[in-house]
Amino acid sequence: MDYGLITFASTHGAISAQKALEPVAAVRVMPVLREISLGCGMALRFPPQALETVQRTLAGSELRPGEYALYAITGSGPALRAEPLPAHKG
Amino acid sequence: MPQIIDAKGKPCPTPVLMAKGAMAQGADAFTVLVDNPTAVENLKRLADNQGFSAAVREGNGTYALDFVKTGSCDACEAAIQSPLPAPGTDWAVFVGRDIIGDGDRELGTNLMRMFFYTLTQGEDKPGAVLFMNAGVRLPTLDGQVVEHLKALAEAGVEIQVCGTCLNFYGLSDRLQVGTVSNMYDIVTRMQRAGKVLSL
Repeated sequence: MDYGLITFASTHGAISAQKALEPVAAVRVMPVLREISLGCGMALRFPPQALETVQRTLAGSELRPGEYALYAITGSGPALRAEPLPAHKG
Repeated sequence: MPQIIDAKGKPCPTPVLMAKGAMAQGADAFTVLVDNPTAVENLKRLADNQGFSAAVREGNGTYALDFVKTGSCDACEAAIQSPLPAPGTDWAVFVGRDIIGDGDRELGTNLMRMFFYTLTQGEDKPGAVLFMNAGVRLPTLDGQVVEHLKALAEAGVEIQVCGTCLNFYGLSDRLQVGTVSNMYDIVTRMQRAGKVLSL
């Protein structure tokens, strides 16, 4: 994957996750990709090596598993692929 | 005998406008009389921009600037060398605040980050991004926006940041991307753009 993407069921959920993740991973705010048009418009991207930290931090946060989803993004434009990732490690 | 334009006692920018008037009428050589150093500097800058030389003579509190058309002009040469954008293809973004829209600051801050993220991803990039007032907090303090602005600058987008505003907010030494600019350059850049999006 080129980078990981987290989508959320609500904008409040996205902001809450942003606060939890910013101290531990290099997350960036971005709009949800058109290819994955679910959730609110705000998503977080993270570098591939931060996947485990992201999974662990979100699992320990106030967000419930159904309130966010993780994707592995590869490529861009028409060649973009988004593979769902497990919300938890394992 | 070159034309003499008496602009003594005239407030700024009247002396410059009078000199421009003479140029517009096709005068290749004329003399402008003024009575203060600011007017002298403004007229010298006008001469530089319009392809004139302007020798200054001083006496008894009066300055005489002898304008002579030289035909060469650094600013004109630079403009000729840089290709003009086709109409409608050059656009600029004016950022006068540090959040998008009214309402919640946290949401507005993230919307601004998403805006610049999206700009970096698209093919149709603006020719310039212009920051004023609280907008100058973005190229100084917001790490994510700085990152996107650096990518835009690398792609050839001009980033201009209001120096007066940086000074006002005590951020003059914290600019991380772009050039310190002023109202003249920012307005000129807006006028050159086919359209200006204001955030």
